[in-house]
Amino acid sequence: MERPSPDSPAPITGPPTRRKAGPSRLPVFGVLAILLPLLFLPLAAVFVFAGRSGWSGFFSALSQPDALFALRFSLLMGFATAAVNSVIGTFIAYVLSKYRFPGRDALGILVNLPVALPTVVVGTSLLLLWGPIGLLGKYLDPLGIQPMFSATGILLAHVLVTLPYMLGAVRPVLDTLEVTYEEAAYTIGASRWQTFWLVILPALRGGIFTGTLLSFAHSLGEFGATVMVSGNLRLRTQTAPLYVFAQFEAGNIEAANAVAAVLAIISFLLFLFLQRFARRPERPEA
Amino acid sequence: MSIVLSDVTKRFGDSLVVSRVSLEVRDGELFVLLGSSGSGKSTLLRMVAGLLLPDSGRIELHGRDVTYLPPQQRGTGLVFQNYSVFRHMTVAQNIEFGLRIRRTPALRRKARREELLDLVGLSGMGSRYPDQLSGGQQQRVALARALAYEPAVLLLDEPFGALDVQTRSQMREALKDIQRRLGVTAVLVTHDQDEAFELADRIGVIDHGHLLEVGAPDDLYFHPQSEFVAGFLGGGNVLAGRAEGRFIRLGSVALPIPEAATEQEEGAPVRIVFRPEFVVVKAGASAPKDGVHSLGRGRVVRRTFAGALERVRLEVQGLQGARPVTPPLEYGQRGTPIEATRPASASEREPLKAEDDVWVGIRSFHVLAPSGLKVLIHVDGSAVADEGAMLGLLLGQAAGGPTTLLAVAEESQQVEEWQRRLEEILKRVGAARSPWLQSRVRIGKTVPEVLAEAQEGFYEIVVVGGPARGDRRNALREELSSRLLAQAQAAVLRVKRARPQLKRLLVCTAGGEPGKRDVVMGGRVARRAGAVVTLFHVDREPVSPEEDVRVKRHLEQGAAMLSALGVQAEIRSARGPVIEKILDESAAGDYDLIVLGAPTGPGSGRYGEIDHMAPVLREADRPILIVP
Amino acid sequence: MLNSAGPRRPPILRRIHVDWRGLSARGSFLLFALALGIFTAWPWLTPSAMAPPRTLIVYGFSILAEALEDGVFPAFRDEWQSRTGQQVEFVSSFSGSGTITNQVVLGVPAEVAILSLELDAFRLEDAGVLAGPTWRDLPHGGVLNRTPFIILVRPGNPDHVTDFGDLTPPGIGIVHPDPLTSGGAQWAVLAEYGSVLFLGGDTTQAEDQLSGIWRNVVAQASSARGARTQFEGGFGDVLITYEQEAVYDLGRGRLDAEIVYPRSTILSEHIVVVPEKNIPLQDLPLVRAFTDFLWTERAQQIFVEYGFRSVNAELNSGHAEFGVIEVPFTVADLGGWKTARADIIQAIWKDRVLTALRP
Repeated sequence: MERPSPDSPAPITGPPTRRKAGPSRLPVFGVLAILLPLLFLPLAAVFVFAGRSGWSGFFSALSQPDALFALRFSLLMGFATAAVNSVIGTFIAYVLSKYRFPGRDALGILVNLPVALPTVVVGTSLLLLWGPIGLLGKYLDPLGIQPMFSATGILLAHVLVTLPYMLGAVRPVLDTLEVTYEEAAYTIGASRWQTFWLVILPALRGGIFTGTLLSFAHSLGEFGATVMVSGNLRLRTQTAPLYVFAQFEAGNIEAANAVAAVLAIISFLLFLFLQRFARRPERPEA
Repeated sequence: MSIVLSDVTKRFGDSLVVSRVSLEVRDGELFVLLGSSGSGKSTLLRMVAGLLLPDSGRIELHGRDVTYLPPQQRGTGLVFQNYSVFRHMTVAQNIEFGLRIRRTPALRRKARREELLDLVGLSGMGSRYPDQLSGGQQQRVALARALAYEPAVLLLDEPFGALDVQTRSQMREALKDIQRRLGVTAVLVTHDQDEAFELADRIGVIDHGHLLEVGAPDDLYFHPQSEFVAGFLGGGNVLAGRAEGRFIRLGSVALPIPEAATEQEEGAPVRIVFRPEFVVVKAGASAPKDGVHSLGRGRVVRRTFAGALERVRLEVQGLQGARPVTPPLEYGQRGTPIEATRPASASEREPLKAEDDVWVGIRSFHVLAPSGLKVLIHVDGSAVADEGAMLGLLLGQAAGGPTTLLAVAEESQQVEEWQRRLEEILKRVGAARSPWLQSRVRIGKTVPEVLAEAQEGFYEIVVVGGPARGDRRNALREELSSRLLAQAQAAVLRVKRARPQLKRLLVCTAGGEPGKRDVVMGGRVARRAGAVVTLFHVDREPVSPEEDVRVKRHLEQGAAMLSALGVQAEIRSARGPVIEKILDESAAGDYDLIVLGAPTGPGSGRYGEIDHMAPVLREADRPILIVP
Repeated sequence: MLNSAGPRRPPILRRIHVDWRGLSARGSFLLFALALGIFTAWPWLTPSAMAPPRTLIVYGFSILAEALEDGVFPAFRDEWQSRTGQQVEFVSSFSGSGTITNQVVLGVPAEVAILSLELDAFRLEDAGVLAGPTWRDLPHGGVLNRTPFIILVRPGNPDHVTDFGDLTPPGIGIVHPDPLTSGGAQWAVLAEYGSVLFLGGDTTQAEDQLSGIWRNVVAQASSARGARTQFEGGFGDVLITYEQEAVYDLGRGRLDAEIVYPRSTILSEHIVVVPEKNIPLQDLPLVRAFTDFLWTERAQQIFVEYGFRSVNAELNSGHAEFGVIEVPFTVADLGGWKTARADIIQAIWKDRVLTALRP
């Protein structure tokens, strides 16, 4: 499960290449000793607690309508965030990478700002803009338009928070894609649109895939911004992490852990796939 | 004609990247644009492809004006140095890309693809991805891709630059072969002269955006028209001498002017070029052989082993008065440097080492087209500018270089009036228009237009009227002068009153270090005009003995260099207020021209601000040449 | 990580192996994505014949969760269905009373909110969410139920705590909810302070007791429920909380602790508010029916079952689990919430006790 703390978009690197064992294995044990309480044991604890009341307890905890809803809702938000991000993220990355205009660098930093901002602040800022008492929201509210405390608000928050991950995955690919690729297509006779569709987009496939997966994964685990903008309504706007938190605070540790375990498994699988596909180098040296 | 470029010009911001290039590329020809990096060759190619728009000029492909057409509508095939093969497509898909865009039926596409795979030697590799190919193979794919849709012309931008040496020579052969077989017109850009010689039907040499010479490879190699081409292609020795009857006087040596060379005016500067492999070096004092022109005795400065050849740098003593152009004369050096190469067999038979005394001759040489200082004269309608025109034309005549009279009209209806005015000036000095003497009227704002002309035309000296009392154009002329110095790197000649002749030059090294460029420029003017130079140095206050020695040594080196150029020079120095001393000296010596160095470095060009320039300019009524 | 065995295989096998891997990775990813997609879309893929139920959005403060979710909501659902034949779906959210109040102020679409103290209702009124003190128009002035504040100690009462006064000596670790976000915590502060006054002490003694207790606070949770979870997790020696919490969980055998009844303590009063501006016109009767239902004997009985003391005193009698409090008092006895807040929570707890605690 994700903590609501901000973290930077992790560069996707392959697993370290296996090396022949050095003269001493002590450092390896040192690393294990550090990671055991830091990473492995907490994760294990989730599963131990989830499985404490047996499979039946685990499944009955999961089959609660609000637990099922929270998981579904989170996945839906994840799919929607990933879909929206793959389009606007790619577009923003393309413009930032290929167009020269004043303030481009500043803009490039600005769009990455959500990574550095605490997600709670992102949520608050959205609330203060779109909420019923917010800067824009107060004009929308009388019209019956209420973007906050609904799926729209959560989508907005998730897109904002995960956008840097999308950009971080796509922009480096675009930056290394030399302008001659486009120029070659132009001279061959391809229009701007054909060039984008047939030449640039396919070259970005890997980056877009990675970015989409990252967006999905982060959306699935997003807590800080979601808790501000969702309204936390069971069966309405409660995402899985919010459910986990609410159940945990209410003392229903089994219910919390069951959903937390499912989230952990999905995230783990996503991560595994990310590693698997990102490992294929984009362009091996000829 | 496949490609016709007329007066194509391109600027990036302030810098002129392609300057008035006119070129015709014939059908089926493989034309190579040769130039060093930053020469503008790639920019020119990209303009033909339509990836850049020219600022002015016209581009035609097969008789169709494509100047402002987007790349998609030009039908050129472009091959890049980095291949730019689409990585997510197979080789076959890459090659078919252009046909797919053109909605060619699948069957014809397939047939064409197979044909091209065969042509570039990649049969059976259609289903591979670029990542599975070597660099050379990828470039073959790029070539096939560019040829698939039968392009109007094939453009190649340093196509083999990223390949290793062996692959490169294979690819050259393959390219030449394919281009011949298809008969497609091709333009290839490269900085590699071997590549140019090997591939080209014709070569165009480009430098600083100027297309200098166009010709067949051997023609350019043996008979270059300009110093740059002579030096750039294969490296060469260029010596400048003077025409004397049917001979060229190079110090104590006189060489017969070849039959093929153009008529040379008596006493005019003549430059000859000879390739290092035409230099004959003999150890000891053996007599000149038949058919070898003797250059006299010299010594070996150094020898370098270079595989099949041996490079020998010589210094020949008897050529004083002849100016070596390449290899450049090192500052303070008296002998004339000559570059020679000998086959390995010769060096085995007759080994040479540094400091050996040798006899030097040349088997044959070629006379370059005359070129002197290029002078641009700006006429603005004022009396001082007219005086400037008088002196400028005198200088141009003496310098034997192309001279242009320029006026700038604010609006197009004033053009004729300005043309009449320029005509009058030419008539007044009795000069007739010739390829070496032109007049031109540009339309626009004075300063940027003159600046543009100076840059485009490669002028070395621009004549601008001096400050005149109560003339509203004073400020404009000041601005023009400082921007010419800073941006066009041209020397500026400020004239208040013309002189009847150019016989005595005062080169001032006051106010700091004696510059090198001012001495050289003064020397060039003096040599062409046959003038005497006084190197003049002023110390503001007493200096330390070491400093004194240093300045003296520098002045002596300058004088030595001037005399190596064949210019008579004397050294004078004074102590006291710099401006007064300069003014005193210029009046006392009755000089015709004062040469001053402009400060260099950041913020330079504001020459009016340095301490001695402005007052001298204001007070002296002599013409002043300011050297950047 | 995945194909570490790869490099040592013979070339042909390795090739096959790698291809299979690539296929499998891609295939299993697609399978995985498809599975997630189907799971997500399942409710939409299986259209139910039922008419879409009417919904009621209820925000409640933390300890109400079970009583409402498991007791009151199903009861009302049944009654409404038998009365009208319509399905009612409850959409609910439970957290600290202050949090709920903030959310409602910021615009969450609550149709009914149950707050742990009237003060939060005043805040909703000030923010314009409520047109006025509309909860006063409800039965019992909007008070849904009550519960006294008690002390929860570890089994066997190892620290021998018998009253609030025993919590002041150093060395006792108290878990307390945070008065900034939790209504329960504010009640607790009033109990800690007021109990002295109602047992004949003066304001100085009362303040001494309050600051003595707060010196021992080792953990603050954002809600009463959160504080209990911390205490349950083994943190601290003592928890000051609602009687309801303790009674309900002890009844189910979930809590391993003992209740200590102070001689004097406050009875909290929980307020129902109806932010009418959030209610679509056609839902108004439904909301009315629900709020009326909350004070019926059936609903009040359910609250008693879940450990609350009913506003209907008859219902509380005969329940042995409700311990005896010698001198109970309510916020009205302290001059009402506005006075109590200004004079005790603000002026004494926040400005004096808390500042004195700061290092």
